[in-house]
Amino acid sequence: MAPSTTIADPQPSSTTDSSNSNAAAAENDIRPFFVLHKASSGKKSTGTVRAKRRIDSPAPKLAKKSEIESTEVEDGEYFSTLRLKVFETVWSKIDKTIQDVLRDSHSKVFSGVHDWICESFESIRSCGALSLSEAVRSYPVLSQPSSKQLFTALVLTRNLEMVDDLLTFEDLGLHLKSQGCHVGKLSSMDFSTKNGVGGCLRGLLRQFVMPTVDVADVTILASWYRENGNHNNPVVIIVDDTERCSGSVLSELILILSEWAVKVPVFLIMGVSTAHDAPRKILSANALQRICATRFTLSSPAERMDAVLEAVFLKPCSGFTVSHKVALYMRSYFLSQDGTLTSFVKTLKIACLQHFSLEPLSIMLEHFCQDNQPPGEGTGLLTEATMKHAFDLPSVTRNKITRSTCEMLPQFLLDLQRMPKPWSIVVLCIYEAGKFDKIRLIDVFCETLDPEARYLKYFSPSASLNSQSHVSGRNSVIRRVLRKLRDFSPAQLSSLLKSWESLTAEFSEISDKVMELHPLMRNVEAAGQRPGLPSSPKKHASRSHSKLEKELKAMTDKVSAIIEFMLREYMKPVETVPFNEILCYKNVDKLQSALLGDPRGRIQSDLLESYNILHCMCCSQRGTSLLPSMHDTSILYTLAQEHADVINLHDWYQSFKTILIPRNSKAKLKSKTCSKSKKRKDRCEEPEPEQPAEASIQARFCRAVMELQIAGLIRMPSKRRPDYVQRVAFGS
Amino acid sequence: MGKENPAEKTLNLIRGRLCDPTFVFRPLSGSSDSNYSKLKFIVSTSITEGCNNSILLLGPRGSGKAAVLDLVVGDLMEEYPDSVTVIRLNGLLHSEDICAFKEIARQLCMEHHLLFSKMASFDENSQFIIAMLRECGLAHKTIIFVLDEFDMFAQGKQRLLYSLLDAMQSVTSQAVVVGISSRLDADQLLEKRVRSRFSHRKILFLPPSREEIDSLLEHLLSLPADSSFPSGYVSQFNEKIKNITSDSRFKDMLKTFLNANSTVNSLLKFIFRAVSSMNLESGLLSLENFKTALSSMQRQPKLEAVRADCSILELYLLVCMRRLEVKEQSSYNFISVMKEYKTIHDSFQTSDYYAQNVCLRAFEHLREREVICYAENRGQSQAGEYRPMKLLISASELHQGMRSHACCPAILLKLLDH
Amino acid sequence: MTREESSKVTRRSIRLASSVTDENPEPKPSHPPTVADLTFGEESITLDALLSNFPGRRSQILDLIRLIGPLDSPSLPIMVYGDASTGKTSVALQVFRHLNRPFVYSSCRTCCSPRLLFESILNQLLLHSKCSSNGYASAKRCDKPSDFVNLLRQALSDVMETLGRKSMGKMLYLIVDHVDLIKDWDKGAMILQFLFSLYSVLKMPQLGIILISGLPPDVYYSNMGYTDPLPVYFPEYSEDELRQIFLKTQVNKKLYSAFLDVVLRPFCRVTRRVEELSTTFSSLFRKYCVPLDDLAISPNEDLKRRLYSNLKPHITSSLNEIFRVSSRPHDGDTKGERRQKASYSSENGEELEILDFHMSTSAKYLLIAAFLASRNPATLDASMFDSTGGMDNRKRKRKASEKSMEKKEIAEQEAVMKGPGSFPLERLLAIFQCIASVGDSSFGEEEEEEEATGYDKESNNMMSDILLQVSSLCDANFMIKSGSCPLEGSIRYRSMVSEDLCLKVARSLSFPLSKYLYRR
Repeated sequence: MAPSTTIADPQPSSTTDSSNSNAAAAENDIRPFFVLHKASSGKKSTGTVRAKRRIDSPAPKLAKKSEIESTEVEDGEYFSTLRLKVFETVWSKIDKTIQDVLRDSHSKVFSGVHDWICESFESIRSCGALSLSEAVRSYPVLSQPSSKQLFTALVLTRNLEMVDDLLTFEDLGLHLKSQGCHVGKLSSMDFSTKNGVGGCLRGLLRQFVMPTVDVADVTILASWYRENGNHNNPVVIIVDDTERCSGSVLSELILILSEWAVKVPVFLIMGVSTAHDAPRKILSANALQRICATRFTLSSPAERMDAVLEAVFLKPCSGFTVSHKVALYMRSYFLSQDGTLTSFVKTLKIACLQHFSLEPLSIMLEHFCQDNQPPGEGTGLLTEATMKHAFDLPSVTRNKITRSTCEMLPQFLLDLQRMPKPWSIVVLCIYEAGKFDKIRLIDVFCETLDPEARYLKYFSPSASLNSQSHVSGRNSVIRRVLRKLRDFSPAQLSSLLKSWESLTAEFSEISDKVMELHPLMRNVEAAGQRPGLPSSPKKHASRSHSKLEKELKAMTDKVSAIIEFMLREYMKPVETVPFNEILCYKNVDKLQSALLGDPRGRIQSDLLESYNILHCMCCSQRGTSLLPSMHDTSILYTLAQEHADVINLHDWYQSFKTILIPRNSKAKLKSKTCSKSKKRKDRCEEPEPEQPAEASIQARFCRAVMELQIAGLIRMPSKRRPDYVQRVAFGS
Repeated sequence: MGKENPAEKTLNLIRGRLCDPTFVFRPLSGSSDSNYSKLKFIVSTSITEGCNNSILLLGPRGSGKAAVLDLVVGDLMEEYPDSVTVIRLNGLLHSEDICAFKEIARQLCMEHHLLFSKMASFDENSQFIIAMLRECGLAHKTIIFVLDEFDMFAQGKQRLLYSLLDAMQSVTSQAVVVGISSRLDADQLLEKRVRSRFSHRKILFLPPSREEIDSLLEHLLSLPADSSFPSGYVSQFNEKIKNITSDSRFKDMLKTFLNANSTVNSLLKFIFRAVSSMNLESGLLSLENFKTALSSMQRQPKLEAVRADCSILELYLLVCMRRLEVKEQSSYNFISVMKEYKTIHDSFQTSDYYAQNVCLRAFEHLREREVICYAENRGQSQAGEYRPMKLLISASELHQGMRSHACCPAILLKLLDH
Repeated sequence: MTREESSKVTRRSIRLASSVTDENPEPKPSHPPTVADLTFGEESITLDALLSNFPGRRSQILDLIRLIGPLDSPSLPIMVYGDASTGKTSVALQVFRHLNRPFVYSSCRTCCSPRLLFESILNQLLLHSKCSSNGYASAKRCDKPSDFVNLLRQALSDVMETLGRKSMGKMLYLIVDHVDLIKDWDKGAMILQFLFSLYSVLKMPQLGIILISGLPPDVYYSNMGYTDPLPVYFPEYSEDELRQIFLKTQVNKKLYSAFLDVVLRPFCRVTRRVEELSTTFSSLFRKYCVPLDDLAISPNEDLKRRLYSNLKPHITSSLNEIFRVSSRPHDGDTKGERRQKASYSSENGEELEILDFHMSTSAKYLLIAAFLASRNPATLDASMFDSTGGMDNRKRKRKASEKSMEKKEIAEQEAVMKGPGSFPLERLLAIFQCIASVGDSSFGEEEEEEEATGYDKESNNMMSDILLQVSSLCDANFMIKSGSCPLEGSIRYRSMVSEDLCLKVARSLSFPLSKYLYRR
């Protein structure tokens, strides 16, 4: 990919990222930014982009740039463009993986929906096919017991936010189309009370029949359905966001369609984002009566995210990974902010991009991607500077690696590449063990990433597993897993065993350990078989019960022992490995600032220190004290800080003026204003013929107030209190 | 079989009579002081004198205003062939001026075999009409404008009336404007400029007297002697009719019916119903037919809704609302009704206490039956269960209905009285 | 495995398509509609069949036939009225099928505007059918009653004379269904007047008009121009009529009647609408038959008793639900999960009340905040959300209980009438801040170990997308924007959440909701 495109591409994340971290950038890591626009300057075509960059890259940095010696600039920009290329490859890989995961997470439900449609369609057809004449008649069919039930699928997207599922319903529509159904899509926009039912009928007809239909008439649909073979396939109508539709219109549509259900077999697919009885709250009783509803459940966002996580970080995908803190941050961002997969992926992408733009060594990830190569190649890319940088990385210094050991660098890189494999296997094993307790992979992931490996202490004899009082591990996942192990049923144990085998198959050390479980498992099963039902140990006759208990105990102990073994031996968190900075992104604060660039707070802080932004000489050294030369809006806002949540416009104006007008001319102004103050009902409209200064001050005051209002910081006076504005935003 | 045929013929004959207003009102127009002769006199004078005129026919719905007018017009058309043109407008259809003018122009064109262009604008139509008025005036042809539902034309700016009457005053035309309205104050609705041009001649249509009704019954029900019916059958049938009408019970029935609604049309409906339930085997009417007709004509839908349609649960809800009203609770909504329902249940341990959504469905059923309704229309944003409600059924109706309900629990009646 | 599944599906659908195509041939555009299409043609039925088809409708059917009258006899307009699903439409249509007379049917449910209604009537009279060849246009474009009358006269006279030529009688009937819906159209009163006086306006006795209405005639009295047609009343079915109706279609009548003995009476106390009952009964009957191996047996007493005993719980449950959602075997994974959940909930109870859809934490807090804001009086916020976290609302409660009873009564009534109170956005955000901070502190002491989670909630950064969360709550109907307050122009919100849902959410956050809820 040409570097120019990497700059000019309209990906929101890349631009937001650069601008955000631009805002938050510390002095030393400006490199990516001006390098970025330098790279763009190489091309003639992207002149505009470059101009933009110039604008938003602030002055001091430009100043700073001059100090950097030219050579570093040169290879710096060379490498950074290179890194961006690597980013493209890596991210495309990750992105593709995510898409695949999502697709087959839905495919099951989709085929389920389609089967349901086929079966119900056949059940309708089995009532006997209609002749053309009776199908297009205006009155209902009498020959058969006409059922007015409208087959309806409630697709539960178990998430309040719709963002993830808009695409899902698109895919569903495409899937059904590919299976030959006539698919029409309605959104909540079509169900407006203003247009009534006619609006959505018209929308349907335009999608099904032809785009130029102007009357909303169901009979058209019927006669269309009877024409050239349309009647061999069902008609599917997808309403993706049911909660937002106006209930009355939707119920009316359902009533109409159900009247024609026999002649035009319509299948309604309603996306329900909250509880499955949401339709009952929206629709009228009669409409509910006509619905014959079937529930389909999409995988919940958390499940999807686990799948994505597994595919991206734990399966060999692209070497890129994140540190403990970043993982925790991403998790909590997912949980506490909008819990959508979209935002999660966005976070991931931003992290990835920042990693490549900030970390010089990240360039070597390219070689981790294609894994058949020996990683030694990567060293060739390292120049002197990067080498130096590489050897004062914290991880390197921590492990006492010096330039002297430089020649064994390939070795380090090699095991850095090998490292993730056993690690991910262990994580997955624990996840398997936790599945019966509905443990989320993200939790396991976060905990096992922990560099100082706190989880090991659960195995130390001091922390007895069954002591509930032990606060520290209350919400530690691994602890929970270990506790749950003890009340596993034999069936669960055996399934666990199987999954472990398949997981550890290609990693001999662990799989040997797993093999050791088999004899125990056999004993358990033997003990289980003897009394009739082996389902759960609690319901057994006492004597066999004790036996089974013993076996189970042995088994579970062994399992936990193996878990401990795995954790101790192979659970080497990434951050402890030398040169892990190549793979691992750590900078949480940047990520956070990139994700939530809190605009209101930013506006306020900028207004308060405006001199930081417009570097005017006069007010920068004078600190906080207000000067007439400052910008009006910032003066006004600084003044507003003294008031409570309502500001008397008059006082505000006065203080504003006192700042603008120097001391000496104060007295006469005073007299003027108090004479004026009774007349003034609303602050600015009447420009009384005063001395020009006064008028201009008023004008400036008005403009500043307007700007504050537009910025959403104050609210204009209400009817009741005409001379007070209200402050809307507090505490930047 | 041979007996069936005359019966059906009779049925067809009488039904045909009942559905044909001119036949019905012919006898009423015999006498010299009847509306028929008044109307005919006025119109015919304006035809003969060649002057303009305007009349209002006022009277309750179905008292035969339009029918009498049709009689008059029909007769005049026979007397003065091709010098009378009738333009019929209906307030229900042509209340807005544009389409009224269009319609007039259309009918004029049809009368005089001109071709009518749909595209003609309002002004063109009005000019055309005035021109036609003048032409007809010169040709001594009278145009009779029949404005049914006259009061509907009096809505809005009354441009049609104004321009018609104005044209009649200015142009040398012969036109008669006959307004038909069931509002006795129809002429008060007119604007000043219109009223000043309107001659306030009114003809009032009153409900028929006893004698008229008797003669009418005679006229409607008796078979003609000179017809293809077997003579024995005719005499038998007429005989039967005579002693039915002379029967006191029938007279009482008739009185009760006429007390409720006294117009001719309602009487016709009553007879129609009775006749259509005639026994085709015997081919004769009987008193029973009239009885059933009376019962089926006099309905109390609300009462029936309570008696036949409401389920026990719905009755419970109605009783709860009634109780709330008795308690002078200013206004109540579904939630407060549910509270009442719950208190009743708690105090009496009734067998039918159902979940809220079921009650809500019952509530909606009552609403679409219009036994209850929302108190005011505003507040759609409010969810349905919070909007204030009110009963549309009187306490006595509720009582009566619940008493006659098939399986109304006794406790409910007690609760209703408490 | 999904691959092969889908392939199987496609195969089936193909087979189905083929089987269908040969069983019902392609419509031939050559065949033009004739006057005969206005009647049911040869598929006429006898009176006895008609009467037996509709149990409990004998008198209505006979009445209708009498009013329509013998062949070629004119008739006054008729209005068939009665409750929903009492067989008005099908009886009327079947009567015409029996009489085999030409008629025109239009339903105001399907034709949801005057123009559609008029045009559909005209289309049928002019024997015009919409199809792709004529671009799905109707024969005549007409949306004004005045035009309609002229066109109708024209069309009627044409049809009449063709009918006369074909010697199919001198009468044509016009059936207009769902007349009551017209009330809700714009200018519906006008259309209704027109419809009711159509007979007298047309002055064509050879057109019999039959109106089918869900509402009794008295609700139309308000329209001036109303001349009431001859009423025919269809009452709700009685209990044993319902029994006959349900038995009519069954194969094993004995078994089903035993079933009906059990269910019919209790359900009739709630509703007597056939379609509502039929959906309930079909699902119940499946449950009823579960213990039986062959469905052809005629049950004896103790079998009936046993069947009843295991049906009983289902009866009470389905008496109290109006909307049931069936789940699919394809959905197996989630169902299995649900079962598992149940098994767990038997062990630890709080998982019974699990929230079955995902909300972000801030959205949950926002939901609770909205709930509190619309339930609590605004004057109490200060005392509720002070540092002591609503400790002193107990005192409040006592004071409230000290209030004199009748004042309390009135206040309660007002509260009930008002429903959930509305609140400005500022108040919502303030409450949100308070409870979110409380919740975090409670979290904090739990996970003092992972202090890293300090990154998330309760950083004022969260303000940035709270507004987004508010909007998405509004989209989910958890909050609605109620009308903006007249005094200050700000838009006000109102929480629509039921208390138990809010409790669920609070439980999932382990947030002490009851502590903050002010009870009168």
